[in-house]
Amino acid sequence: MAVRRIEARERVMARNDEFAADVRGRLAAAGITAFNLVSSPGSGKTSLLERTLDALGEELEIAVVTGDVQTQNDADRLARRTSRLVQAVVTDGACHLDASQVSAALDAIDLERTRLFFVENVGNLVCPASWDLGEAAKIVVFSVTEGEDKPLKYPKMFRKASYAVLNKIDLLPHLDFDLDRAIASAREVNPSLRFFLTSARTGAGLDEWFDFLRQQVQAPART
Amino acid sequence: MHELSLALEVCRIAEEKAVPLPPSAVRSLGVEVGDDAGVEVDNFRFCLESLLSAPPFSGARLELLSRPGEDLRLTYLEVDDGRPEN
Repeated sequence: MAVRRIEARERVMARNDEFAADVRGRLAAAGITAFNLVSSPGSGKTSLLERTLDALGEELEIAVVTGDVQTQNDADRLARRTSRLVQAVVTDGACHLDASQVSAALDAIDLERTRLFFVENVGNLVCPASWDLGEAAKIVVFSVTEGEDKPLKYPKMFRKASYAVLNKIDLLPHLDFDLDRAIASAREVNPSLRFFLTSARTGAGLDEWFDFLRQQVQAPART
Repeated sequence: MHELSLALEVCRIAEEKAVPLPPSAVRSLGVEVGDDAGVEVDNFRFCLESLLSAPPFSGARLELLSRPGEDLRLTYLEVDDGRPEN
């Protein structure tokens, strides 16, 4: 019997990355800025998006894809805040979204009428860090009801993110949460991380977040 | 958490690379696992060995090679082309 060796050298993520490149290309052609919103479950991704859609949904022509292991609850919640399309992906057990799912979701979105695109990833600080979805940047949301050392526990996600939203700051007076320590933990793993301190509940800090989003979005090139 | 889906993707690539031979001709696989690949190695080994021991594979041996960095790669495969050795 002749056993022969085949050199493969093939990255396991190659297929995902092809889809991510396809997504990135389609978004760039349509002049759309895309953010991949990641966090542990319950940090307030959906609440932050509700507020964002209320304030900027029409102005910035926002479309959203939500990923959840089960239910379309988040997509249903967001659809109440916008007349624009909110697309749900139910991963049915999978712990993250991959780029093929985002690519398929884009088919349903009117890219000509979209300037800002959010992917609300599955709530999980581990796995989504490894999947490029074709986004311009990852934005990690964490909240003051979590530990200050969360960035040290999940360094890959905080390293991969370009921006961090520290949410639920309205609860700070009731907690022992050490804000400086939390920010220092995050900067330890990613010195260039830009922070937003927000309360999606009271609206505190959201103006700065909204201004940031306005700056990220390209002016409409329509005639 | 996602080791099984990564292991399935390794198997898919291995099947593709083995063509025109069937997956059952694969005798061994070498997979490089980056220390920052987000892969729990023991879990990944369990998933991949389970898949390789069942059809369409026929008990291929697995060699995991640790590497620095983020990449997870199928490095090589050894296939038995069924021809007698010269």
